[in-house]
Amino acid sequence: MKRVALRLLVPVLLLVGWQLLASGSVQAPRPSTVLEAAIAMVRTGDLLSGLATSLGRVFAGFAIAACLAVPLGIAMGSMPTVERNLDPLVETFRPIAALAILPLVILWLGSGSGAAVAIVAYAAFFPILINAIAGVKRIEPSLMRAALTMGLTPLTRMRVVLLPAALPSILVGMRIGLGIAWTAIIAAELAVGAKSGSSGGIGQMMFVFYAYSIDLNGMVVCMIAVGIVAFTLDRALRWALAITVPWSRI
Amino acid sequence: MSVVSSTNAKAAGPTRLGGVLVYLRTMALFVLAWYAGSLLVPSKLLLPSPLAVAAALRDTALNGELFGNALISLARLSASMLAAVVIAVPLGLLMGRSRLWNDLLELPVEMLRPIAGIAWIPLALYLFGIGHRLPLFIMFYTAFFPLLVGTAAGAAAVDRRLIAAARTMGLSRSTIMRRVIVPAALPAILVSARLAVAASWTAVVAAELVGAPNGLGYAIEYYRSMLSTPTVMAFIVTIGLLGFLTDKGLRQLSRVLTPWAQTGAAQ
Repeated sequence: MKRVALRLLVPVLLLVGWQLLASGSVQAPRPSTVLEAAIAMVRTGDLLSGLATSLGRVFAGFAIAACLAVPLGIAMGSMPTVERNLDPLVETFRPIAALAILPLVILWLGSGSGAAVAIVAYAAFFPILINAIAGVKRIEPSLMRAALTMGLTPLTRMRVVLLPAALPSILVGMRIGLGIAWTAIIAAELAVGAKSGSSGGIGQMMFVFYAYSIDLNGMVVCMIAVGIVAFTLDRALRWALAITVPWSRI
Repeated sequence: MSVVSSTNAKAAGPTRLGGVLVYLRTMALFVLAWYAGSLLVPSKLLLPSPLAVAAALRDTALNGELFGNALISLARLSASMLAAVVIAVPLGLLMGRSRLWNDLLELPVEMLRPIAGIAWIPLALYLFGIGHRLPLFIMFYTAFFPLLVGTAAGAAAVDRRLIAAARTMGLSRSTIMRRVIVPAALPAILVSARLAVAASWTAVVAAELVGAPNGLGYAIEYYRSMLSTPTVMAFIVTIGLLGFLTDKGLRQLSRVLTPWAQTGAAQ
């Protein structure tokens, strides 16, 4: 009981402090007004449709990234020649943040969904790739040797030994990649919204609240929604990890 | 998380020169393909040739614009990282070692952490306006949580026997903290500092792109609106290079500060 009270102490203090601090100004959002705005936004469906647009882009970009990064990572992890020759490209592009190439992507693909999906794919690609390579490399050599001794074909070896052993690491990469993708979509939609017209999505919604309707309550609602989605995505992938690869303890 | 940070530790040593040659060969092929592509794409606006980008790099470097903006962004990175370290590391040590502090702070941290720093940009624009304070706040916020959580995990994982031994020898609590817990948690703190810097460097671009009157992110956005693609690419290259060098520097720092932890951290 005392522990529960302790745990709730700081959040409650923060909320009370926020309410008191903000009650001086008319425009400043307060917990009570944010709650009202949240209820209104859920009722009209704006919030959910914005989130759905953003999530759709995240999943599309994430799927592209996974389809490219997983096979490439397996190839790089299992064939040293491939790794040696491609590693320079990976190491060169990995430090370039997805948001830094946003202006180029807007130039190439316009300011619609295409650009947003491309940014997400780029952002999620590297964590998945790096972890897939690491996962393949960390497979016990004796397992591979045993498979070779038993005369398994390369394809069966891949299916029976390599994939199950590398899967935990690949899924960890996907979890990290999905988190980064969700951050990237907010930034991409924000920046696209800041520079041009309509593309939809939660990030754009936040920008509209800032720049046009100056609705700070709505903005805070969007922030909280962003946090809840990030939290849910992370938990969902942790859960998927626990179910699909119960043998791993990552 | 350590999976990400540990994989690119290259096999240094005898093949070092060979590695450089392979690197140059791959990148030469890449630049060649890029050049060929730029010849095929008629618009210089969409895909300028590597030569044009190199020229833009030289021009911006010569007139000081490149260094000026890079210095501003790096100064912002250092200032916000410093503030994040000063606040997050002590709090993390407290959270890792004391149940009371952990109970107090865990819930608010878990509530705020999923809200990406970038999602704060519109509110920060309203609070701070365009200027220095917005990117500083966003970068601080982005760096704060990885540092706090990493430090807390590192402090909580300190071998109990070490602390018991220190107690047996009659050391005071503050001495145990200083001489036992901090050194034992240092490798974890340094790994989370590297993650924090990488995240923060990503956030600086976003924050400057939207809400700063200078810096690398601003320069990229400015030259995009001027439709000068080669210069945009030159600044992108700079951002990547600086990100790479900062990470290299931090890795070197952790090698110097915690030589005993390198077998684990660098694979």
